[in-house]
Amino acid sequence: MPYPVPGGGGPSPDPPPAHTTARRKRPLKIKERKRDGVAILEMSGKLMGGPDADAFDETLKTLIHEGCRNVIVNMEKVSWVNSTGLGILISGYTTLKKSGGELKLLKVSDRIENIFIVSKLYTVFASFQDEEEAVRSFS
Amino acid sequence: MSTRVELRLPSRMEYLGVPDVVLLEVGAELGCGKRGLEELGTAIIEACTNAMEHGNHLADDLFIEIWFDLDDEGITITVLDQGPGFDHVGWRPSDDLMRQRGRGILIMREFTDFMEFGRHTDGRFLTRLVKKIGPGADPE
Repeated sequence: MPYPVPGGGGPSPDPPPAHTTARRKRPLKIKERKRDGVAILEMSGKLMGGPDADAFDETLKTLIHEGCRNVIVNMEKVSWVNSTGLGILISGYTTLKKSGGELKLLKVSDRIENIFIVSKLYTVFASFQDEEEAVRSFS
Repeated sequence: MSTRVELRLPSRMEYLGVPDVVLLEVGAELGCGKRGLEELGTAIIEACTNAMEHGNHLADDLFIEIWFDLDDEGITITVLDQGPGFDHVGWRPSDDLMRQRGRGILIMREFTDFMEFGRHTDGRFLTRLVKKIGPGADPE
C-alpha cells in the first residue's frame, strides 16, 4: 500500500499543456557493423533495462539467425550501466554461448570497469581496449 | 555547515541519470575527486532504480525524492520511495555470477562508506548512502 507523501503525492498540481508532452527517446542506441565475420555493436547512451533489454535481445537473435555468433559490444559511448543493464549483458552472453558463440566487450570506461570488478563480472567477460585485438581474439 | 539539495523525480527510468548529473555539479563545488563521485553516482543510480522499480513499481502517479546533504566531511544521499520496502535484514549476496538480477545492494555497499535502509517519519521507505568525499578522501 503506498505511503502518503507530504503535500499529496498525486499528479503535479500544474500538469504541462498537452502539446508540450515530451517525446520519450530510447536511452540506449545500438548500431551494428561487421568485421571479419564478427558483429560489432556500437552502443551509446545508458544501459539500464526496460526497452533496451528487448532491443539488445532482438539484435542478438537476428545475428544468430544470420549465422553470426561472435559479438563485440563497444561500450565507449555508454555513459553508465546499472545492475539491470549488467543483467542485459549477462543475458546476451548466455544467449550467444548457448549458440556456440561468445560476447566480448570493447573500450569499457573506468567507471563501468569498476562495476565489473566489484560484481566479479570481470571474470566472465573478456574486455579489450583495441578493436583489432578484440576481433583477432575470436580466431 | 550542511547544505541540502532536494530532487523530486517521476518513477520513470529515463530520469535515472538526473541525480548523477546533480551529484557531479554539487561534488565539483566540494572539490571531490572523480573516482569517488563516479562510485557514489553509480550507487545513487542503483538506489533510484530500486526506488522507482521495486518501491513505486514505475507508477505514473508516484515520485521518488533524493536529498543531497553536503558538508565538509562528505555527502549523504537519501532516496525515498512510497513502496512497502523489502527484507533488507535478511538479504545476503548471491554467489551465482550469471544471475541477471540482484546486484544493486552489492554495488551500493561496495561504492559507499556507509549504507542503511529504513523508514522516514512520514512512512516512506528510505535508502541512505554516505560517502566521505573531499580532497584527501579519494585514492585517485
